[in-house]
Amino acid sequence: MPRFNFWTVVMILTWVMLFVLLFIPVGSVLVSSLYDQSGNPTIANYLKFLGEPRFHQAFINTLVVGFGGLIGALLLGSIMAFCVSRFVIGGGRFVSLLAILALVSPPFIGAYSWIVLFGAGGVVRGFLRDMGVNMPPIYGVGGILIVFSLKFYPYVYLMVSGALSNVNRSLEEAAEGLGLTPLQRTFKISFPMVFPALTAGGLLALIHAIADFGTPRLLGRGYNVLATEAFTLYSAEVGSNMSMATTISVVLILVSMVFVLLQRYMSRRNVYHGNMINKPVRIKLKGWRNVLAHVAVYFIGLSGAMPVIISVIYSFRKTSGPVFQSGFALQSYERILFNLGDVVRNSLTFSLTAVALIVIVGTVVGVLVARRTNFNTALLDGAFMVPYVMPGIVIGIAFIAAFNTGPIVLTGTATIIILSVFIRRLPYTVRTTASSLRQISPSMEEAAISLGYSPFQAFLRITVPLIVPGIIAGGMLSFVTAINELSSSLVLYVGSTMTMPVRIYLLILDGDFGTAAALSTVLLVLSGGAVYIAFRFMGRNEQALL
Amino acid sequence: MSYLSVNNATKQFGESFKALNGISVAVERGEFFTLLGPSGCGKTTLLRSIAGFNDLTSGEITLGGANLRVVPPHQRDIGMVFQDYAVFPHLSVFDNVAFGLKPRKVSAEAIKARVAEALAAVRLDAMADRLPAAMSGGQQQRIGLARAMVINPQLLLMDEPLSNLDAKLRIELREEIRDIQKQVNIATIYVTHDQEEALAISDRICVMNAGRIEQIGTPQEIYGNPQTQFVATFVGTLNFLNAGAALDAMLGQLNLSAAAAKSWAVRPEHLDLLVDGAPTSDGATLSGMVSKFTYLGREAHLQVETEVGRLVVQLANPGMAATKAVGETVSINVQPSAPMAFDAEGRRISSKG
Ligand SMILES: Nc1ncnc2c1ncn2[C@@H]1O[C@H](COP(=O)(O)OP(=O)(O)O)[C@@H](O)[C@H]1O
Ligand SMILES: [Mg+2]
Repeated sequence: MPRFNFWTVVMILTWVMLFVLLFIPVGSVLVSSLYDQSGNPTIANYLKFLGEPRFHQAFINTLVVGFGGLIGALLLGSIMAFCVSRFVIGGGRFVSLLAILALVSPPFIGAYSWIVLFGAGGVVRGFLRDMGVNMPPIYGVGGILIVFSLKFYPYVYLMVSGALSNVNRSLEEAAEGLGLTPLQRTFKISFPMVFPALTAGGLLALIHAIADFGTPRLLGRGYNVLATEAFTLYSAEVGSNMSMATTISVVLILVSMVFVLLQRYMSRRNVYHGNMINKPVRIKLKGWRNVLAHVAVYFIGLSGAMPVIISVIYSFRKTSGPVFQSGFALQSYERILFNLGDVVRNSLTFSLTAVALIVIVGTVVGVLVARRTNFNTALLDGAFMVPYVMPGIVIGIAFIAAFNTGPIVLTGTATIIILSVFIRRLPYTVRTTASSLRQISPSMEEAAISLGYSPFQAFLRITVPLIVPGIIAGGMLSFVTAINELSSSLVLYVGSTMTMPVRIYLLILDGDFGTAAALSTVLLVLSGGAVYIAFRFMGRNEQALL
Repeated sequence: MSYLSVNNATKQFGESFKALNGISVAVERGEFFTLLGPSGCGKTTLLRSIAGFNDLTSGEITLGGANLRVVPPHQRDIGMVFQDYAVFPHLSVFDNVAFGLKPRKVSAEAIKARVAEALAAVRLDAMADRLPAAMSGGQQQRIGLARAMVINPQLLLMDEPLSNLDAKLRIELREEIRDIQKQVNIATIYVTHDQEEALAISDRICVMNAGRIEQIGTPQEIYGNPQTQFVATFVGTLNFLNAGAALDAMLGQLNLSAAAAKSWAVRPEHLDLLVDGAPTSDGATLSGMVSKFTYLGREAHLQVETEVGRLVVQLANPGMAATKAVGETVSINVQPSAPMAFDAEGRRISSKG
C-alpha cells in the first residue's frame, strides 16, 4: 500500500485539478459539438461546417492570417536578428526594448493604434488626403497582416538572434578557409544552423496569429476567422448557436494542434551549437550599408512599438466626449478614476489572485514533477500545450460549456475568469519550476543534510532560496499574460466582472479612443513594471518572454 | 574492533545488478583511507551508503561500535566533500562554512572563531565575505573542504573532490588535503579513480573492481606487491610475456617457476638496458630490436621486440646518450625479482621455485 503522505495528496489533487479545469471543459466542447440545439446526438454541425461557404471562408481566412503573420514575422524578425547580431547597431539595447514593448502590449492595442493612424478617420490618412493622396483605410486582411507582422516579429527575432549569436565562428572561418564567398557562407553554414530557430519562431507567430481574436475583430470589418466566427455564434443576441460555436472551437483546436506539434518538433531541433570561446563578432558597417542597417532595425522596432507610443500620446490628448480636441489634458485619466475604478480593480484582483494561485500550485506541482519521477510527465507535456492549442476564445467557450450547468456552476463569477487565466498559465510555471529544480545539483541538498539539516530543512534553506528568484520572475510574466487577457474574459465576463482589456475593446467599438488609450497606458505601465521586476530577478532574459 | 567497519555490504540496483557485492572494509581512527577503482566499480555507492544517502541491500556499517544504518543521514555527523563542490551559491564563503555549525547550537562567537580557523586552514581567510559563484573551482572546493571539516565530524568522506580541477591544481590541493587531514586527525575515506593520487595521499588503499574488493594495503603494498592482475595493471603498467621456449629459458635462468601460472608479467620500470660489454652479475638477458622510442622528459619509454614479445622498458632520467634509433639492437636485463606470475583467475601466485 502506498504511503499516504503529502506528495500523494498533491498528486491526487493535481489530477483532480487537471480533470476539472482541463478534461471537463475540453470534453464539454467536444460533446456540445456533437449535439444539436434540442439535445439530440448528431454530426450535423460538422456537416454544416463542411457545407457552408461562410465557414469555409473563415477556415481559409484563418490560414491566410496564420501564414501571412508567419511570413511577415519571419521577414521582419530575421532582418532585425541578422542586423543586431552581426552588425554594430547603435542603441542595440534600446532596440531590444522596442521588441519587448511590442511583445508585452496586447494585440488589440496594436489594432486600435493603426485605426487611429490609418483608419477611416485616421490621422495619417487625413493628412495624406489633404496632400491629395488618397489611400484606402487599413481595414481588412491587409491591416490584420500588418498588425500581426509587427506584433509577432519579436518571436522570430528573439529565437533567431539567440541562435545566430551562438553559431560557432570557427565553422564560418573553416568555410572561409575552404574558399566560400560570404554569401555562400551565409546560405551553406549559418542558414542551416538557424533554420530550426527560424521555423520555431515563425510557427510561434503563426500559432498566436491563429489564436488572436481582438485584431481581426477590430480591423477585419467582415474578414472573419475561426476565432471571430466562434465568438459571433456564441454571443449573437438572436440565434446564439452554442453547438456550432463549439464545433468551430474543435476545428480551431485541431488546426492549432497541428502547428503546435510542428513547432515543438522544431524547437527540440533548435539546439544551439554553443561555443563560448569563439563567438561571432559584430562587424562595424560603413557608409550607406551602415545607414541602411540602422534604418531597417529602427523602422521595424519603432513600427512594432508604435501602438504603445500612440496610445500613450493619445491618452494625454484633450477630448470632448469621444472626440479629440487639440492640446493635452488629463481628462481621459480622470474618466478612468471616476468611472472605471471598478474595472481597474477587477483586473488587478483577478490577475493577482490568478498569479498567486499559479505560483503556489505551479511550484508545488513543479517540485512534484521534478522530485517524484513517477509522475506522468507525458501528461504534463500534454497540459503544457493547452495555452497554445486552446486559444482564449476556445477556453472561454469551453468553460461556459462546462460550468454553465451541471454539478459546478461558475458562469458570471469572478472565479471562472480567474480559473481560465490560471489553467492557461499553470503549465508554464510547472515546467519552469521543474526545470530549474533539475538544474540544481542534488549534492547541494545532500551537503546540507550531511551538515545536520533534515531533508525538509535542507530543501527549505538551500533549494527554495535558489529557485525563488525564478519563481518570482515567472510570476511577474504570468501577471503580464493575466492582465492583458482579452478573449477568454470577453466570453466569460458579466457587467460586474469586467476587466480592463474587455473595457478597452468595448471603448474602441464605441469609438471612445481617448479613454481606451488611457486604459491601455495603465495596462502598459503595469505590464512594463512586471517585466522590469522579472528581469531584475532573473537577469535580462528576453527569451523567457516567448 | 575498528573505528569504522563495513561488513559484507551488498547494494542491488534493479533485479540482478549488484553495484556492491560483499564489501568489507575497516578504517581506523585518524586514518586516510582511499577507495580506488575504475569508474562504475561502486566507489560512490559505498561512500553514499556510509553517508546514509542510499541504504544497503544487506550488510552492516558500524561507526565507533554503533550501528550506523539505523541513523538518519542528517544525524550521522559525517562530513562530505563533493565532486561538484556543492557550494551554496546564495551564501557567502563565511556563511557556507558556518552552515553546519548552526544546527549544532554553537554560540555566535565560537562560530566566528571556528570558521575563521577553518578558512585560514584552506587559505581563504581573505575571501570570507565574497559570494562563491565567481570563484575558481579550486577555491570552491576549498570552501567545500572547510565546510565539511569545521563541524569536527566523526568521519570525513570525499568523492573525487579533485577530478574537476586541472592537473597542476590537483597536485597542489591533494597535498593540502593530506596535510590538513593529518592535522585535524579525522578518519577520512577518499574516493578516486586516479592511481597516482591514491598512492600520493593515502595511508591505505582499497582497490575495487566491479563491486568487489581486489586488494587492501598501503600504497607500497598495492604498487610493489599487487595481489591480483587487475591491481597490477590498474596501479601501474605491465608487460605480459609470451609463453614459449624463450620464456621458459628465461625463467629457468632466473630460477623461477610456478606450476599454476597462467601468465607472467614485468613492470617497465623493473627492466634495465645493459650497457654494451658490461658483464652482468645476475639476472637474465633478453636481446631485441628497438621499434619505438618515446621521450617524456624525466623518463623515456623504449619499445623493444624480443623473443618473449614486445617489451616496454622505462628509462629514468634519459640523457642525450640514452636516445635509441628504431632498428637498433639492445640487451635488456631482467632481475629475478621482476617477473610476476598470475593464475587463471588473475590471482598473483608465488614465483619462487
Ligand atoms: N541509483 C542507481 N540506479 C541504478 N544503478 C546505479 C545507481 N547508482 C549507481 N548505479 C550503478 O552502480 C554502479 C556503480 O556506480 P558508482 O558507485 O557510482 O560507481 P563509481 O563511483 O565507482 O564510478 C554503476 O554501474 C552505476 O551505473
Ligand atoms: Mg563515482
